[in-house]
Amino acid sequence: MSASQTLFPGWTEIASSAVHDADRQAAKEQALAALVEQYASTLYRVAFSVLRNQSDAEDAVQEAFLRVLRHRDNLDEVRDHRVWLIRIVWNIVLDRKRRARTRPETDDIADLARVLPSHGLSAEQLAAAAQHHAHVLRCLEQLPPKEREVLTLSAFEELSSVEIAAVLGITESSVRSRLFRARNLMADLLQHARSTR
Amino acid sequence: MNPSPNFSQQSADETLRLIASLPAPDGLSDRIHAALRTAPRNAVVLRWPVAISSHSSFLRGAAAAAIVCVVAGGGWRIYSHVPAQTSPQIIQMPQSGSLSGGFGSAGARHVPDTLNGPVLTRHTPVQPLPGISDETQAQPVKAIVPPAKPVARAHKHASHTTASAPVH
Repeated sequence: MSASQTLFPGWTEIASSAVHDADRQAAKEQALAALVEQYASTLYRVAFSVLRNQSDAEDAVQEAFLRVLRHRDNLDEVRDHRVWLIRIVWNIVLDRKRRARTRPETDDIADLARVLPSHGLSAEQLAAAAQHHAHVLRCLEQLPPKEREVLTLSAFEELSSVEIAAVLGITESSVRSRLFRARNLMADLLQHARSTR
Repeated sequence: MNPSPNFSQQSADETLRLIASLPAPDGLSDRIHAALRTAPRNAVVLRWPVAISSHSSFLRGAAAAAIVCVVAGGGWRIYSHVPAQTSPQIIQMPQSGSLSGGFGSAGARHVPDTLNGPVLTRHTPVQPLPGISDETQAQPVKAIVPPAKPVARAHKHASHTTASAPVH
């Protein structure tokens, strides 16, 4: 052991631990970067399905990853990063939606027309499709919040009912019962809307 | 003809799946990486500007000794400026206006004598004075001491109190 280590054993341990801390921080930031690459698009789709605005959805995803950055020390404790991230962005978009004012229908149709895939459709067909989808989304807004949330998340094929339950913080049986109610209510609303036209 | 509920349900599912499958905009990951780079982070206490190799233990020890000297010197400087107190200081409060413990003057300028009241002392025999008869001297004399007056009123009431102090 060198003379300085004999005289100051504690101080050398502190210095070496500082170097190890820097390595740990770098590893955590690399893990966070990997999460961004892997799940950013999934989180964007979840955010857009609720907010239906590209810039708002992107802001929500950014906010979600900033929250993960603040809690990056807890990354190792999370078992399923995908569901955990979806839950974070889900809470963010619900907060934003509650605070946002009601959007006019024309904005929804215009946004959808911009983002819907054309697939060889003409401009008129694309506009009609956008109008139809906007109408469906309007009926979705009339559902009770719990049924609406479950129905929205059920549209994501990569989410099972167990994962939807984890995102919403409810049981799997609650997910199934709410989904059943949501589908019936949605069908009634759409049928009623079509019959009044 | 109204569409069947199944058709409505399928229509709703189709719309929701379409919305859920829309692709993310190009460059989303890059923008998020840029936002994370510029985000504030927790402060790191020790961040060495130069990588310290495992053989530079002398440098680590010298840095540790410098820190100890700075801390000890600062503590000594503070300690040397603190004056030593030999005895506790006792702050004497001014005496209140009333010796009997009754009503106070409350800073009033004109306080009648009846507020404080007469203060009776012990009976003391009076020494015989020349020119006074024995019968008069035989009667006990009670000395009534007027209550102590505040200094502020001493000038105005000096003549009053001496004239009006009852003597039995």
